[in-house]
Amino acid sequence: MIQFIKNIFQESSKNMRITLYVLIGLVVLFGIFAIQILFWGLGYTDMNNNFTWGAWIIGDLGLVALGGGAFTTGYFLYIFRVDKLRPLISSTVLIGFMCYLFTFVFLLFDLGQPLRCWFGFAYPNWGKGVYPASMLTEVFFCLSIYFCILVVELIPVVLEHKVLIKNKVVAAIAHYMHLLMWTMAAGGTFLSFFHQGSLGGGMWGVLYARPVWFAPHFFFMAIVAAMAGGTSFMTMMPYIAGKIMKKEVVPMESYQLLTKISGMIFIGYFVFRVYDVYTGIAKFAPMAQRNYFDMWGGYYGVWMLVLEFALIISALFFLNQKKYREQEKFMVIGACSGIFAIVTSKLSVLLHGFSVPNFPWKSFTAYMPTIQEWLITLGCFACMILIYMVFAKWFPLFPHLEHHEAHDESHH
Amino acid sequence: MKKIDRKDFLKIGGGAVVGGLAGYTLSGAPFLGFQWLVEWSQDQYVPAPGIEKYVQAVSDSCTNGCKVSVRMIGNRAVKIESKDGVCPACLNGLQLLYHPERISTPMKISGKKGSGNYQPVSWDQALKDISSKMNALVNEGKANTIAAVNKNESLNGQLMEKFVRNAGSNNVYYEPSLNSITSNALGGYVKYDFAKTDFILSFGAKLVEGWGNAVEMQKQFLNWKKNNVKIVQADSVCTRTGGIANEFVGINPGTEAVLAFGMANYLITAKRMTSSGDDFAKWSQLIINKYPLGKVAKLTGVAEDKIKKLADDFAAAKNPVAVAGKGAHGVSGSSAEIIAVYCLNTLVKSGAATLVKNSAVSYTAEFAGLDKFIKEGSFSMMFLNGSDPVYKSVYGEELKKKLEKAFVVAIAPLMNDSAVYADYILPPLSFLEAETPESKPAVKALKESKDAKEIIISLAAMVDKTKNALPKTSADAYKSAGRETAGGKFSFNFEKIKADIEAYEKKLGQNAEYPVTLVPYEAPLVGDGDGLAFPYVLKSIDPSVLNLGKFYVMMNKETGKKHGFSEGSSIKISSARGKLGKAYVHLSDVVAPETVAIPLGFGHESYTKYGNEKGLNPKKIMTADVDPLTGAADWWSTRVKIS
Amino acid sequence: MIVKDSAMKRKWGMAIDLDKCTGCGACSIACNQENNMPIFEDDSDVPKRVAFLELMKVTNDRDAKFPDVKTAFLPKMCQQCEGNAVGKHKADPPCVSVCPAVATDVGDDGVVSQIWSRCIGCRYCQTACPYEARVFNWWKPEYEGSFKNSLSTDVSVASRGTIVKCTFCSHIWKRERDKATANGILDINAVLYTPACASACPTGAIIFGDLNDPESEVSKLAKSDRAVRLVNTVDDETPEKQKALMSKKQYANPKVYYLTSQKWLRDMMRFKKNS
Repeated sequence: MIQFIKNIFQESSKNMRITLYVLIGLVVLFGIFAIQILFWGLGYTDMNNNFTWGAWIIGDLGLVALGGGAFTTGYFLYIFRVDKLRPLISSTVLIGFMCYLFTFVFLLFDLGQPLRCWFGFAYPNWGKGVYPASMLTEVFFCLSIYFCILVVELIPVVLEHKVLIKNKVVAAIAHYMHLLMWTMAAGGTFLSFFHQGSLGGGMWGVLYARPVWFAPHFFFMAIVAAMAGGTSFMTMMPYIAGKIMKKEVVPMESYQLLTKISGMIFIGYFVFRVYDVYTGIAKFAPMAQRNYFDMWGGYYGVWMLVLEFALIISALFFLNQKKYREQEKFMVIGACSGIFAIVTSKLSVLLHGFSVPNFPWKSFTAYMPTIQEWLITLGCFACMILIYMVFAKWFPLFPHLEHHEAHDESHH
Repeated sequence: MKKIDRKDFLKIGGGAVVGGLAGYTLSGAPFLGFQWLVEWSQDQYVPAPGIEKYVQAVSDSCTNGCKVSVRMIGNRAVKIESKDGVCPACLNGLQLLYHPERISTPMKISGKKGSGNYQPVSWDQALKDISSKMNALVNEGKANTIAAVNKNESLNGQLMEKFVRNAGSNNVYYEPSLNSITSNALGGYVKYDFAKTDFILSFGAKLVEGWGNAVEMQKQFLNWKKNNVKIVQADSVCTRTGGIANEFVGINPGTEAVLAFGMANYLITAKRMTSSGDDFAKWSQLIINKYPLGKVAKLTGVAEDKIKKLADDFAAAKNPVAVAGKGAHGVSGSSAEIIAVYCLNTLVKSGAATLVKNSAVSYTAEFAGLDKFIKEGSFSMMFLNGSDPVYKSVYGEELKKKLEKAFVVAIAPLMNDSAVYADYILPPLSFLEAETPESKPAVKALKESKDAKEIIISLAAMVDKTKNALPKTSADAYKSAGRETAGGKFSFNFEKIKADIEAYEKKLGQNAEYPVTLVPYEAPLVGDGDGLAFPYVLKSIDPSVLNLGKFYVMMNKETGKKHGFSEGSSIKISSARGKLGKAYVHLSDVVAPETVAIPLGFGHESYTKYGNEKGLNPKKIMTADVDPLTGAADWWSTRVKIS
Repeated sequence: MIVKDSAMKRKWGMAIDLDKCTGCGACSIACNQENNMPIFEDDSDVPKRVAFLELMKVTNDRDAKFPDVKTAFLPKMCQQCEGNAVGKHKADPPCVSVCPAVATDVGDDGVVSQIWSRCIGCRYCQTACPYEARVFNWWKPEYEGSFKNSLSTDVSVASRGTIVKCTFCSHIWKRERDKATANGILDINAVLYTPACASACPTGAIIFGDLNDPESEVSKLAKSDRAVRLVNTVDDETPEKQKALMSKKQYANPKVYYLTSQKWLRDMMRFKKNS
């Protein structure tokens, strides 16, 4: 085993070795600070009674929204049978799975009483009707069930490992799972609509006493945001992996197609976001006798809004014009703009939202994560990258690549 | 019957295990297990139950004599309640009672003075040691080197005064209070009849924030509202009293006296009013010559017409009263100011301000007052009766040096900045444990603590010269408690304060080196510092005073801009006497321009872990000019530079 | 035994006369003592401070310059919001519907409760609260040494990582009801009570009582011209506009009314000047 690990390091290039050291270092520090937070509580964070949530909720919002690419891609592949997306699907499912896994991890850290996390299932706040009263109850249930679906979707990727697939039973299971995957994709899409809406937007939109967030349409806008940003994210991850591996892991036409889809959804998102700002200015802020632009101030000023729109427009520009999209460089710029637009929107929901004073005699507040919050956040991201690397190296994450390699071998 | 073979057995066994597990899971037991894990991993203290009852307690250690009802659970006091209002000191009575750092046995110093190292001793040994030291001093004819500083004029303060005076010393002082200062300036303290007045002109007196008798003033405040009494507050910081006033007259810092001069000037010259006080002619001549309205307007920042209008309104009221004595708890002693304000009362023949005295409290000692005594006096033995002059006096550092050389006895329930220099610390009871003629002890006394009155009485019994001078028991002490008597005749004491009146103009003028003025203000419950040892006081401090360990001073927005400070930027303040550590700026226009307002009551050095090292003590750099009549320093406003 | 009607008639509310408040802080001490607030060596971490009642200092230097300035103190506790019904949504406080574990609820006496042992510490209710009235135990509540002796048995000491809040001292009501029950009176509406802050106020600025009883002092004060609710802007609109707005959106609708005749203070309780 030790020899095996040694070999990995020896086989890797110098840059890769440094990357591995950094990532593993982050994971170790994550473990250390995790113990501190879990045993001695959240006092070590910079969250407080006014800034009740911080880095981890930003992480949650970002991960879930970008992980939303998984259900969108799955939906297009399995329901619409857009087979060009197949080379991307394993990577997409894995990323989706990790995004959700670490969302749970972040949520657990954010709970003051992690040992009571099951209360969310045991004493759900359903209210009287079909819909839960609390957006978090919806998040609890949808997220858990969708996570199970992602696990099921991920199983074929593991089963198709070249050692396992030799077993006939395994091969049969993998085959039939693939055939039935559309049910999972459909269920996943259905569930995703709910939790994307609730965790991404509805959770904030229902806070009727906080004019900075209150917006009944926030729920739906978050779904569109997740579809738009998620698809860009699902393009960029295998693209970066391919660049690092110096191999064509996914054919260019698959990227083109997914970014095209992303670009189209971004049109919808742009319209929705403009509507959102417009209603904020014209309707919801005045309903609470607030001026929309007065609510932007302090460190998280209106520049966040400007930045977000600049990124959205950049994504729109590069992803929706064939001549740009078909140039790799511009496709990358467009997709990255899309990802960062969504990340910025999540940052501004949280940072700007909490910084707004609740009392007229108070001023804007600010938040700076402590070392514990930084390392737990970055440690989780490092974990995700390591898992992705493991899958890229030893599992059939990129069927296109396997196919080519097999092809190459037969040539020799 | 079929024989059960091995396979069946395994099946049955397996089934039982599976069924059992399913049942266990469905029963909810694992969840209970989780719950138990939660409780076990975060075990929380559960207060001991007991029978609920209410007992009454009366305080004789505060000047108000607060009456409270104590809620008891078993033998634990859990809450004090009162229908009549409670003074700030008694409000914290319960936290003092159960303070983890409370001193509960007599302590003898066991290290260097000021180090805070003490060891418990018996009462017998402590009293024997103290009384023999005292007897020796008396016998050597050095009785006058025995001194005492009382916290207040309560019964134990009166007993201490009697004790030390009878031992042959004239050095009995009180921490500067409204009563002690006005007594020395006017020949008696002012008894205000706020119930009968219709116009109150306050020169920076924080009338509803603890000034005078806090409980009484709150009652008066309600009356004023009911009777539409007009309140005018002249101050350089708009505190809550400024907020409740019908009119807030913003003045430049430290110009309260000058405003009074100006108003007197106007009433004397334009309205032909006179005062019956001695030396009035000389005083009025000086004021008329030295402080014409134009100059007063320039110095105070109040327009000439406005001063005239104020004076007219004041004179036209049926029973107006002018109130001196800046501050809520901390008082500073300029007799020129106190006399000028009182003069206004005599000019309009106010019926709401009369001079009185307490038969058991003389306020006359070897030196005019405490600060003068600290500065110039010497002592070989010192009794600190609940007082903390090292912290509260601007001469704290000088006092430290003198305490180091003397034999010091502190009667204190908690360590404080002065008691830490004591050779002996004697623990008094909190008012909840003390017995009074009106009430039995509400709670059993903590360990060996004793009533402060009893401590003084038993000490007196062991000193030859005072053996028969004091009442034999605390119960007898109540009979000899001081009574209010008529005060002396009001005098302007012209010769003594003449120089101070003239000095105002120079003090307030341009000062290139120290361009801005530092004035104190007091936060609720903290007062001038006594509250800071109590955690629930710390919980009530506004973030504009102390936030995340940062201590804030207030500064006018435009002044801030002019001197290059923005909200939250750090500031260093220094005066001719020294410099303060780092503070932070809170910009607020409740402060006059070119003024820095600093919270009082912070920066303790040895006042329990709760009170220590929080913020700064501005008295370390505040002006220390001792007033000739009050003997107290006039520290309220200090010229400083900021960087 | 006297049992008249077991249905709840009470709706507890509070009126705080800011013109009578001197900022003495007696309410704050009483609240901390009554509710077993944790004791820390340095409680200057105001953003993480655990206290139900905050004595807020309010000045008008947003709108005025020296010397036209004013200062007041505003005791702020949980405002026990009521919300308002919109369409099919029934009225509820901003914080109650969001709790994923039903740890908080609004009782039929109008008091927003919090079950500390049910709370999972997600702080969603805190996010929803516009009054910063809910506090989180960021650290384990501590009571050094003999301070434990002053802990009341009526309010349980919360665990680290849970939300706690002002409940209008409803344990005092329970205490009073228990006493009545011992005397054979089983009617839940039989007794009134006074929360710790209201009984501690030396100027009687805090009035507590039943808003459902039109004869109670608090309901009269709540209807007076001097009443203003903190940041609850819908109150400023005309009745028609109010109705229109409240049919579209919920408002906090607190049951704590602040009373003041001072225009500057009314202005300072709104975000827009001169509203």
